[in-house]
Amino acid sequence: MKGRFITLGMSLLLAVAFGVVAGHEWASPARILKALGGADDMGSQLLLSWRLPRVAASALVGALLGLGGAIFQGVFRNPLAEPYLLGASGGAAIGASIALLVPMGLPEAPLLAALSFLGALGATWLVLAIAGLHRRPDVAGLLLAGVAVAAMLGALRSFLMLALSDDSMNLQVVLSWTLGGIQTPSPTGLALLAGLVIISLLASLSLAHGLDLLGLGDEQAFAFGLNPARFERWAVLTGAAIVAAGVAFGGLVAFVGLIAPHIGRWFVGPRHALLLPASALIGAALVAVCDGIARSALPPAEIPLGLITALVGGPFFLFLLSRRFRT
Amino acid sequence: MMRVECQNLTARAGSTTLLQGLTFTLDQPGFVGVLGPNGAGKSTLLRHLAGYQVPCEGIVQWNGLPLSQWSSADRAAACGYMPQQFTPAWNYAVREILELGIHRRTSTPPPSLAAILEAHGLETLAGRRWNSLSGGERARVILAASVATAPPLVLADEPGASLDLRHKLDLLQRLKSLSQNALVIVVMHDLDLALRFCDRLILLESGYVVADDTPTGLLDGDALERTFRLRLQKVKRQEGHDQVIGIG
Repeated sequence: MKGRFITLGMSLLLAVAFGVVAGHEWASPARILKALGGADDMGSQLLLSWRLPRVAASALVGALLGLGGAIFQGVFRNPLAEPYLLGASGGAAIGASIALLVPMGLPEAPLLAALSFLGALGATWLVLAIAGLHRRPDVAGLLLAGVAVAAMLGALRSFLMLALSDDSMNLQVVLSWTLGGIQTPSPTGLALLAGLVIISLLASLSLAHGLDLLGLGDEQAFAFGLNPARFERWAVLTGAAIVAAGVAFGGLVAFVGLIAPHIGRWFVGPRHALLLPASALIGAALVAVCDGIARSALPPAEIPLGLITALVGGPFFLFLLSRRFRT
Repeated sequence: MMRVECQNLTARAGSTTLLQGLTFTLDQPGFVGVLGPNGAGKSTLLRHLAGYQVPCEGIVQWNGLPLSQWSSADRAAACGYMPQQFTPAWNYAVREILELGIHRRTSTPPPSLAAILEAHGLETLAGRRWNSLSGGERARVILAASVATAPPLVLADEPGASLDLRHKLDLLQRLKSLSQNALVIVVMHDLDLALRFCDRLILLESGYVVADDTPTGLLDGDALERTFRLRLQKVKRQEGHDQVIGIG
């Protein structure tokens, strides 16, 4: 098992290395080493103060999405559950749009985080209330409710953008945020993001045993000492908070929360004490690579990150769905 | 030792009454069978005895304490509950399922995985994944996980319902040996097996207890025939034979 985590760790390092090398201008390893060695030419400064923090931020956002996905799949006992499909991301986007578009006279960063969180939570509860969390969770019901709620939230977000944006700057910010994209963070922002990832990882690990028990089914989990209803509420709250943190920093980045736990299960099996950190590592590697592609594929333009992850993740999701229908 | 007590236990689903004022006490180790036609309320009764469902009226007590006052961990340590359906969402290894059964909070130190594997003859299956197990192997794994902490109360809802006769007998024999030190309450459909294995039988019909007796007492009365609306023939099983099978 240790070897598998070393493999995952190495994959993340490679992904981060790719992220640092890739960009509008590709950086050779020699140039990166020169920059790390303290050279003070313009290119080195750009690499250190612009590209490196951005790659770090993309990996950290990916870790949050991977963790959130693993929690959601664990709670719903369903490998097709994904924060993006269950309304959490769409709800967070509504919250963030309000924070960006409605003048409230409050500092934007904490407001964005708080409203994203409330939006993620509210939308997740809405989907669950429609599909029925405390009955036997039914994948078709959940996905259909998720699709319907996501469509409603998408329309509401577009309406907010049309009705509330009075200067084109804000509209542009919301639009690029909606399509998903990591901004280069300030050192404080990066430290905050890293802190959130550590807290999220610890909070997730505290759910690991309960998620394992839930995987046995409601009644068996109860028989082994879990209060399923109370645990599910707490786990959904935690998952939604983690996704909201990821969405607040990275916008709507689809499918990472679906793919990362899947690959994680291939590597380390279904036990959540191993699956959660594995999903974080895989999510981090995926977003670091996709962000690298987003920055380097069409220079000098940057492709929105959410488009890249959707192009990779969509077919993966359809593959899983078709395999499920076959069995 | 576990004393299970129901007082006026009533359960409803919407406007339908599933259990109607059940009152009984079970306070000896032994094998208690719950019998009755489909829809009689057997599984509902077992879920209430396990605490998984909360009565609409009345009370279920373990050792004189209402179930609502038991903490989740103490409850899990005191009771091995095997629901009718067990379909894990993930493809756990046998070892992982047993570990989840072992790590319940108990006053005694948890047993080792090796001891549980050996006690249930599962050594060769430890690394196997759930999806690769046969029905009989699955039944043994879930029994081993449920009783890993040697709970004084064991509840099983139609154990081995989908198994062939040999595997079903094997499972019931394991439950029977547990009943020497624990109160084992089992929902059963097979009358012949119930009469053979149980020390006491509770017969339900439409949410009422219509008989609560020993197997001999139940055979001597007419409650079985009335409840199932059947005419039954009593035949003594010959020594050394596992089962009576009627032909013609």
